[in-house]
Amino acid sequence: MVIAPQFDSRPVISFEHVWKTYPNGTDALCDICITVPEGDFVFLVGPSGAGKSSLVRLLIREEKPTQGQLFVYGQELRCLRRSHLPCFRRKIGLVFQDFKLLPRMTVHENVEFALQTLGKSRRSIARQASAALDTVGLSGMEGNYPCELSGGEQQRVAIARALVHQPRLFIADEPTGNLDPATAWEIMQIFLRINATGVTVVMATHNREIVDLMRRRVVAIERGQIVRDDRYGRYHEAFPAPALRVQ
Amino acid sequence: MKLFRHLLFAFSSAWQNFWRNLAVSIAAVVSIALILILAGASLLLGHALGQVLDSYRQRVSVLTISVADETPLASVYDFEGQLQVRPDVVKVRFVTKDEELRRFAADPRNQQLLEQIEGNPIPAKIEVNVAHLDDVKRIDALARQWRGVDGTDPTDYQGDFIANMLRLSTWLTIGGFGMLAVLTVASVVIVMNTIRTAVYHRRQEIELMKLVGATEWLVRGPFVVEGVMTGVIAASLALGLLLAAYRPFVERFRAELFFLPLSYDPHFVQVLAQDLLIAGATLGALGSYVGVRRFVRL
Repeated sequence: MVIAPQFDSRPVISFEHVWKTYPNGTDALCDICITVPEGDFVFLVGPSGAGKSSLVRLLIREEKPTQGQLFVYGQELRCLRRSHLPCFRRKIGLVFQDFKLLPRMTVHENVEFALQTLGKSRRSIARQASAALDTVGLSGMEGNYPCELSGGEQQRVAIARALVHQPRLFIADEPTGNLDPATAWEIMQIFLRINATGVTVVMATHNREIVDLMRRRVVAIERGQIVRDDRYGRYHEAFPAPALRVQ
Repeated sequence: MKLFRHLLFAFSSAWQNFWRNLAVSIAAVVSIALILILAGASLLLGHALGQVLDSYRQRVSVLTISVADETPLASVYDFEGQLQVRPDVVKVRFVTKDEELRRFAADPRNQQLLEQIEGNPIPAKIEVNVAHLDDVKRIDALARQWRGVDGTDPTDYQGDFIANMLRLSTWLTIGGFGMLAVLTVASVVIVMNTIRTAVYHRRQEIELMKLVGATEWLVRGPFVVEGVMTGVIAASLALGLLLAAYRPFVERFRAELFFLPLSYDPHFVQVLAQDLLIAGATLGALGSYVGVRRFVRL
């Protein structure tokens, strides 16, 4: 059975009975069925090792499904040819927990880097990079190196880099995992602003407070299976808070 | 326009990466330069040996046939004509008795001997330039059968010397090719591993390029350009050191072993420069291409 809340818009992502089994025999994902319509904001929640990151890796086609079909923008990813992969990835903005910034490049260069690989003109690169940095509130820090920035600022640079080529789908894997609650909330505000422009956001997270505060769609994964899919969910509805035992 | 921008991106990022990872770049330059110094030194040594061998080869590839005094001129011209039409003969020249005497007299070491002789005891000669060293034996046999040859000292053929020369030349050629093959394999392996280390340092950058939608060639391009740059810098370094050592080496060698016809050859310097630069660029490009392949695959 496909678990999907009702939406009017067409699906951007569609998992149809997707399985992912690693060569060592581990079933990371079992019979995943889910659709994500355009403009949706989805939290993927679940304990460590539940399969959230495997799902993200399938979405960006770092891995192929073992079974089933996975569609992103109508493109079946298992059949996607290697030569079409760069074009597919240009439609996605990616943000990671560890930021993945290039330490030897300045903030501006890190953001420009994503456009340089696309063969854009120098003027357009500079303009778009400045606009992206402005969106994440980092104007004036263009010349700084990543090591001179706080964790939150580094994540903002990573977001600016992800949105600089104006993707329609944003995928974030634990983007607030390395940040304190206040900074994490600031980062979430940026994601909300991006989503408000119609961009679909899929975010894998552990952050209970943020999920509960945002009241967005929550897809809970446990042992590779979707156990819950709520239109306006909360984290503790999916997974009860662990009880503390006083000895 | 897009292709031009991609090329510009490859060149500018190769240049930036070279300087930003200076330690790794220096390691790559030094290892390629060492290999090219070894290869260049082998080429120089081979060329010097070739010079010496060529000089001897030129000397022994001229067979001198002594003509008996009573031989009619018509017979000499007839034999000369026979030799000239042979494909294994390059040039034939008849040297008269008078001309031979003049040559003999021109050598200051023969002055004393010249005073003691009467008339002209020196025979006329036919000088035959053969096409290949191994043709000398055949011409010598032919000359000895000719009726007009001077029976006491028919030719100046030195069979053993020529045989040794031919053997040495063959072994040097085989040795040269063998050394070149070993050097080529060793250099490709060393350069590939050095560049692979450099690439490994930048795997995060490669991963990122792939994630933002760069094509395989766009990821590979800057590395290949950087490889060529590294190779050319290493080749220039190797060339500079080899050229600095070449002339003093030749002069020292000539001073010690004056009888060897070895000389400084400015034309070979051009050939060496061209060979080293091409080899450096090719090694760098090949090493980068292979080294980066594992990390680039999407």
